[in-house]
Amino acid sequence: MRFVSELSKGIVKENPIFVLVLGMCPTLAVSTSVTNAIGMGMAATFVLICSNIIISMIKNVTPVKIRIPIYVVVIASFVTIVDMVMAAYVPALHKSLGLFIPLIVVNCIILGRAEAFANKNNVLNSLADAIGMGAGFTLSLVIVATIREILGAGTWLNISVMPKTYDPMLVAILAPGAFITLGFLMALINMLKERK
Amino acid sequence: MNDKLLVSPAPHLHDRTNVSMVMWNVILALTPALVMATYFWGIKALMLTLLGAVTAVVTEAAVQKFRKVPISVADGSAFLTGMLLSFNIHANSPWWLPVVGSVFAIVVGKQVFGGLGNNPVNPALLGRAFLLASWPTLVTNGWIPTRSGSINGINPDLIGTNLQTIAPKAYELITSATPLKVAQTIRDTSFVSSLTGSATENATLASNIFNSLFDMGTLKAMFWGNIGGCIGEVSVFALLLGAAYLLYKNIIEWRIPLFYIGTVFALSFLFGGITGSRYSVMLPFFHIFGGGLMLGAFFMATDYTTSPITKRGRIIFAIGCGVLTIVIRLVGGYPEGVSYSILFMNVMTPLIDRLTMPKAFGEVKK
Amino acid sequence: MMYYLKLGVILLIFCAVAAGVLAYVNGLTTPIISERKAKEAIETREALIPNSTFEEKTAADSSYKYFVALDKTTKEVNGYTFVASKNGYSGKVETMVGLDKDFKVIDVKIITQSETPGLGANCVKDSFKAMFKGLGVENLMVDKDDKDNGKIIAMAGATITSRAIANSVHEQILVLQKELGQNDGGGK
Repeated sequence: MRFVSELSKGIVKENPIFVLVLGMCPTLAVSTSVTNAIGMGMAATFVLICSNIIISMIKNVTPVKIRIPIYVVVIASFVTIVDMVMAAYVPALHKSLGLFIPLIVVNCIILGRAEAFANKNNVLNSLADAIGMGAGFTLSLVIVATIREILGAGTWLNISVMPKTYDPMLVAILAPGAFITLGFLMALINMLKERK
Repeated sequence: MNDKLLVSPAPHLHDRTNVSMVMWNVILALTPALVMATYFWGIKALMLTLLGAVTAVVTEAAVQKFRKVPISVADGSAFLTGMLLSFNIHANSPWWLPVVGSVFAIVVGKQVFGGLGNNPVNPALLGRAFLLASWPTLVTNGWIPTRSGSINGINPDLIGTNLQTIAPKAYELITSATPLKVAQTIRDTSFVSSLTGSATENATLASNIFNSLFDMGTLKAMFWGNIGGCIGEVSVFALLLGAAYLLYKNIIEWRIPLFYIGTVFALSFLFGGITGSRYSVMLPFFHIFGGGLMLGAFFMATDYTTSPITKRGRIIFAIGCGVLTIVIRLVGGYPEGVSYSILFMNVMTPLIDRLTMPKAFGEVKK
Repeated sequence: MMYYLKLGVILLIFCAVAAGVLAYVNGLTTPIISERKAKEAIETREALIPNSTFEEKTAADSSYKYFVALDKTTKEVNGYTFVASKNGYSGKVETMVGLDKDFKVIDVKIITQSETPGLGANCVKDSFKAMFKGLGVENLMVDKDDKDNGKIIAMAGATITSRAIANSVHEQILVLQKELGQNDGGGK
């Protein structure tokens, strides 16, 4: 049952954001609203799955010395494809995520998984790893975004959830709010881990 | 030497001073300012201050219980943080503002880093920065006049009734703002062009308003605190009284306040006027009396944990605060810059300490 | 030596394959994207000035472009659209403006902005944009700057953004009026 364990580890035990602390740039930039978080999570997951599969497939023909440039080429190609396909077929989503899609290239989760996992494991396990990590990334983004959107805008998925008298705490959707929210969530997860 | 009460480089001497005595003395020194605020704005100023202080104490106790460390709220440091935070908002704020600010100041500004002595920046100022970023309109708008009806401290006769007739908008801007906001407004060139007279009339009018800022009556209003502003910052008289007590008791030392206020004074003398006006000579008094400088320089920049421990370091720290304050006031978007400048220099403190640490005797330069 | 050459060739092969795939996808999507963008621009213009066909014009000094709207049936000039831009609080704010033939604002649309969420970013809301409708150049100012004529009430806590938008539209209309004056009445 290796497949299942590779799949599930990304969600809690090796959660890319809260435990591995990878991919901070998109996490801080995109988690201002739940809609953006879901879109970003899906796009990054797609790229992660594709790159993990390809890199795991070519691992026997990639010389160790130039593996990183090759990974970068593979990842950048997929990001560009996602960017173009989204712009052509789902323009609405592309409009709200447009700025962040090129950021996927520098998302350390993707290069990190290529280097730490896909180049040592077979295609099936690499796929499981990508899905798990992608799901963990998306889930974490949604959690951060939920807190920030509710506090900072009084809405969740653009639906008003706070009483009318609530005066949104703007700092939550600004950059400092991202750092503070992330810090408290990491502390919470570390505390829960220690309790166990 | 008053340095024996502070954390300092060697040599170290021992005396009976402790944290608790320092904190409660600072609170005592701030009491005149609270009395003046209550006199000028009524019981609401007192209630807001106490609300902030009590919230801070309760929050600190709760967090310490949660962290399973000894509860140390009796040392007065949390009370002082809450009090300073409330001193940094205006008397027209909603009741929840000091509460939220105090919780943030204690939790994020202090306890997250391990409590008293470990915070990198002044918790009360961090609380204020948080409130300003979260509810900018609540914090920077809605100033209310004192009970004697003054908000900018300017005698209405000085501005002249002709302003009201020829430029009602300008009149409204001038009469609804705090002294620092007035200074910022009339430095703005669009303000002068919005006056509807001829170019020369406009220039005279702007100069008149500017002139009235440092009329003796305006200076007096600022000295006693009969102006709009944050609860604790308006009465220069009360703050100086408290500062004198702290200096006498050797609780704060003179370097930071002197160099901080001196820098602001000198820079506003040089750069504070309106372009092309000769009326900038008296403006420095206005800059040091009109905003939060007195409160910041004596009671917040001197915080032991977040200011340098060497003498030279303190002077660098204070001059840095002064330069930043003037840059924010004259060039930046906000009329007031005391809180951000102190926060920024707080962060620089470890660096300043490292640069200015004296070498032990016999130590060889590496 | 041969080893490094081999590495270079491998990397070259990877890059070539990637470039080939990208070129293929690019060829597939470019027409769709450009068609969609053109359609979007037309839709935006039509939303601003309905029932019109648009003619693109370049200013005499070729420093900017604008569109003349012609009524679909009568073929007469019934308005102009252009993009006005100015720096707001944190970067450029671009506004597409639709004018009627008397240079009164029909509607505006904020097309680019990166202002503070919750404050300046509220400029995309209808409540702010609605204030522009029907205003002539003399009223397109923030009320704080000109009490008597300014009809744009600055958004709470976002005077700078409000001022940037109002002034950019104001200035661009003046530029356009001058341009059309020089062109002897404009696109008739």
